Amino acid sequence: MEHEEHLRLLGKVTSGDEQAFAQLYEATSPQLYAICLKMLRRKEWAEDAVQDAYVKIWHNAGEYRGGLGTVLTWMVSIARYRALDMLRFYKVRKEEEIEDNILLSDDDVIALSAEDKKQLNVCLDELEETQKQAIHLAFYCGLSHQEVTHHLDAPLGSTKSMIRRGLQLLKRCLGI
Amino acid sequence: MNYLSQPRRDALAAEYVLGTLRGAARKRFTRLLMQFPALRESVAMWEQHINALGEQIQPVAPDPAVWEKVKQRLAFAGTSPSNVVSLPLKTNPWWKGMSLLASAAALILAILLVQLQPVAPLPAQQFTVMQNDSKQSLWLIEITTQTIETYASKNVLQRQQNDYQLWMIAEDGRPPISLGLLPQTGLSSLPKHPLFAQLDIAALAVSLEPLGGSPNGAPTEVLYVAELAVL
Repeated sequence: MEHEEHLRLLGKVTSGDEQAFAQLYEATSPQLYAICLKMLRRKEWAEDAVQDAYVKIWHNAGEYRGGLGTVLTWMVSIARYRALDMLRFYKVRKEEEIEDNILLSDDDVIALSAEDKKQLNVCLDELEETQKQAIHLAFYCGLSHQEVTHHLDAPLGSTKSMIRRGLQLLKRCLGI
Repeated sequence: MNYLSQPRRDALAAEYVLGTLRGAARKRFTRLLMQFPALRESVAMWEQHINALGEQIQPVAPDPAVWEKVKQRLAFAGTSPSNVVSLPLKTNPWWKGMSLLASAAALILAILLVQLQPVAPLPAQQFTVMQNDSKQSLWLIEITTQTIETYASKNVLQRQQNDYQLWMIAEDGRPPISLGLLPQTGLSSLPKHPLFAQLDIAALAVSLEPLGGSPNGAPTEVLYVAELAVL
């Protein structure tokens, strides 16, 4: 199992095992880099975000708590918060850029087989298509309410409430 | 408190994790997060669920240079050590402050540096420039509403075996409070310490530390001190 392997490596990282950290990087950096690249959309910024994330992962390896998601999910959290900070700092995007580029295509997200499908995906599939799309755009592309609004060509108020309702439905569906 | 009603807490935590909570609302929420464990639990729960989406993105391998840089920043074995000469250390204690002349020079240099920035940062409220004894600018440090933005100049001596740590020195005489590690190259955004807004700050200081920062919570060797200027 991927998670067990990550957990084993992270355990070694807490005692300063550089080799284990290299293996963990090898196994997980393509995921973290893909997310940062999608959110920041500039190679050098995504590389900086990944660097910062792994430096933090090295120093904070002992803070991972097993009950709260997989090691990879924890690492994704660290990378996404860093990318969100950078988005705010650089004010990266302009409205025109959003129109000119395809933000998220079907190829970006790995389709899961029925047996691999996690509860989250099952719950997301229960949302309206635009609700799901709005949450995907915010998550994978780091879009703000205004940017999601622009992309979906919907009024700002309805985007905000659509995302809020979508998250409420997810919460109910996930039983949290 | 309104923020702590269960539905409100969940809604804010979810949007904080998703990233759609922005600006002043995110700042307020971050502040509350430090105060209320229940909010932190909500955030942790949403992180577990929402960030699982990240496991499904089509992976893209980063350039091998990224790993090399990570190794260098962590000073792993096999990374090439810096060939710089040893740093002439300033031995004056931090509480002696710095001269008015240096402050004036720092102001001018900082304004020049701010004008040269290629991208618009968050509006800074205060800033300073750390200088060495030769009045070379080392770091530009900007205090924004929610972060401390730090920029290393090319004058910063690269230390493979050490970190530079930033401290705030309060006027009330309490021990220096760590603000985080400074970058040796490029820029880094540090979280703004909650006490920053509550205390009168006499100066910021930079110390030389073992990798990872001060082992005992106090500056090991203070190198530079600078007063903050208000914009």
